[in-house]
Amino acid sequence: MNAFEYAAPRTLDEALAVLREQGDEARVIAGGTALVTMMRQRLVRPSYLVSLREVSGLGRIEAANGDVRIGALVTHREVETSSLVRERFPVLAETFRRVASVRIRNMATVGGALAHADPNQDPPVTLIVLGARVEIRGAAGGREVPVEDFFRDYYESALEPGEVVTGVVVPRRPAASGAAYVKFLPRTADDYATVAVAATVSLQPDGQRCREARIALGSVGVTPLRARAAEALLAGHPFGADLLRSAGESIRNAVDPLSDHRGSAAYKREMASVMAGRALTQAWEEARAAARETR
Amino acid sequence: MTRKIRLTVNGTARTVEIPTYRTLLDCLRNDLGLIGSKEGCGVGVCGACTVLLDGKMISSCIALAVSADGHEVTTVEGLAGDERLHPVQQAFIDAGGFQCGICTPGQVVSAKALLDAIPNPSDVEIRDWMLGNLCRCTGYYKIIESIQTAAQRSRA
Amino acid sequence: MDVPSVAKCVPGVEGVETVDAKAYRGNLRVQVGPIRLALHGTMTVDEQDRAAWRARMRAEANDGRVGGGIRARMSLTLAPGDGGTRLRIDTDLTILGRIGEFGQPVIKKKADALLEEFARNLGSRLQQGG
Repeated sequence: MNAFEYAAPRTLDEALAVLREQGDEARVIAGGTALVTMMRQRLVRPSYLVSLREVSGLGRIEAANGDVRIGALVTHREVETSSLVRERFPVLAETFRRVASVRIRNMATVGGALAHADPNQDPPVTLIVLGARVEIRGAAGGREVPVEDFFRDYYESALEPGEVVTGVVVPRRPAASGAAYVKFLPRTADDYATVAVAATVSLQPDGQRCREARIALGSVGVTPLRARAAEALLAGHPFGADLLRSAGESIRNAVDPLSDHRGSAAYKREMASVMAGRALTQAWEEARAAARETR
Repeated sequence: MTRKIRLTVNGTARTVEIPTYRTLLDCLRNDLGLIGSKEGCGVGVCGACTVLLDGKMISSCIALAVSADGHEVTTVEGLAGDERLHPVQQAFIDAGGFQCGICTPGQVVSAKALLDAIPNPSDVEIRDWMLGNLCRCTGYYKIIESIQTAAQRSRA
Repeated sequence: MDVPSVAKCVPGVEGVETVDAKAYRGNLRVQVGPIRLALHGTMTVDEQDRAAWRARMRAEANDGRVGGGIRARMSLTLAPGDGGTRLRIDTDLTILGRIGEFGQPVIKKKADALLEEFARNLGSRLQQGG
């Protein structure tokens, strides 16, 4: 690795000030799993690292008006094991559990993962269908961006220079709804997905027809993808094989995967369609069970 | 740029001045003389470099030493008591949980962390926890058996 | 065909110098998120047929710090097409070394985007009679 200056400020304002001073040559480090790996391979060579490890106030998972707010420094493992997250959004705890290994999950943070913006990651896919929002702070102040709008390109997020992710807010779910995350990884269990799909389905008062479906996919392009066309096909209809087939077809046309060692573009395209069917089926069943319970 | 860091390693306070780019693994091995932890893949995947940071398993090859400043590190050297090996270490010997030994420090540290978190782990729980510790020799059966043995003995 | 000005149609190209009648030296800066590549290399014109407006070239460039490089063969042709003239660019690109290891697909995607923009820039230059 190259030589670099290192600062571990105790407040967010200090961290933002250092970032502003150092400009382009500085990078933020939290858990460091992605950044240190890239630095060891000499792919990035920042001359200044600003660590957020000692910044207070970014490490909490808390309920706020029915929503759940997860601080940027919360580790993947903490989300996975949080009783609050497991109770309110079991699909999110499960998604974080699928990331890499326990070691990586002990180190990697929620905020750091979002800022890294790798389209093969698991959490963004589920966060998108849950309608989550990224909290951002910069010298000019704070703003929020929906997770689905947060990714611009491979390794590029909506963060402007000098901005950091401070947390993610997950809004409460409607009552008669279900969610699922399907990670297709034919290689090793700790790998990124060949293709991943998250889906939520909420039902109309009749407990049969779809009120709203949300579908997002990972590893199918340079950013995670929300499959709005497929979603539109499902709204207002009851569950059925034909419906799933047309949604799958729509998804096959919507994705633009990259060929790599996890699969060719053609294979990923096919699997995106298959896994979407599975995710929707699971989510729909969960929604129907939830609808029956609320009667 | 160098930094002076203070950390507790295997229960002992240590102070060391290191370049900021020093990984925790290199610091443990080269600056602190603890060569039990190994570098296998260098990207955090194989588990040979596993140590505990504040009781939690991490990949020390992708951790910066400066990030351990003010924290507690446990390496394989810190597992044994004065008189006896840690039950996990003894079980690996008795059940034959290693061959060449290169992955063993990482396996043992991870297994200790597992039994601290889940004293009576099921087979599935063992496999899930240990999936990030790769072994080229044993085929994993004896490693799992060693962990089960250690768990049984600790419960007895 | 004026190679330096054609080369400038590739986004990120800087400092094109003539080495001799057929060879040119230059730099190409490419960014993928936080990863910045600074490729230094040469381009050689293998064939140039002014009458038929056809050219073939070879490029070789390396990034000294990251460790890796690109090798490309390109052919450009202008031919009459529907309602005008068609510019056709065929590229054979190999990505070597660490750049390739890290993200063949990412770099390839980036290369595709660069080539598209190159084609657009070159197309509008030609239309302007440059």
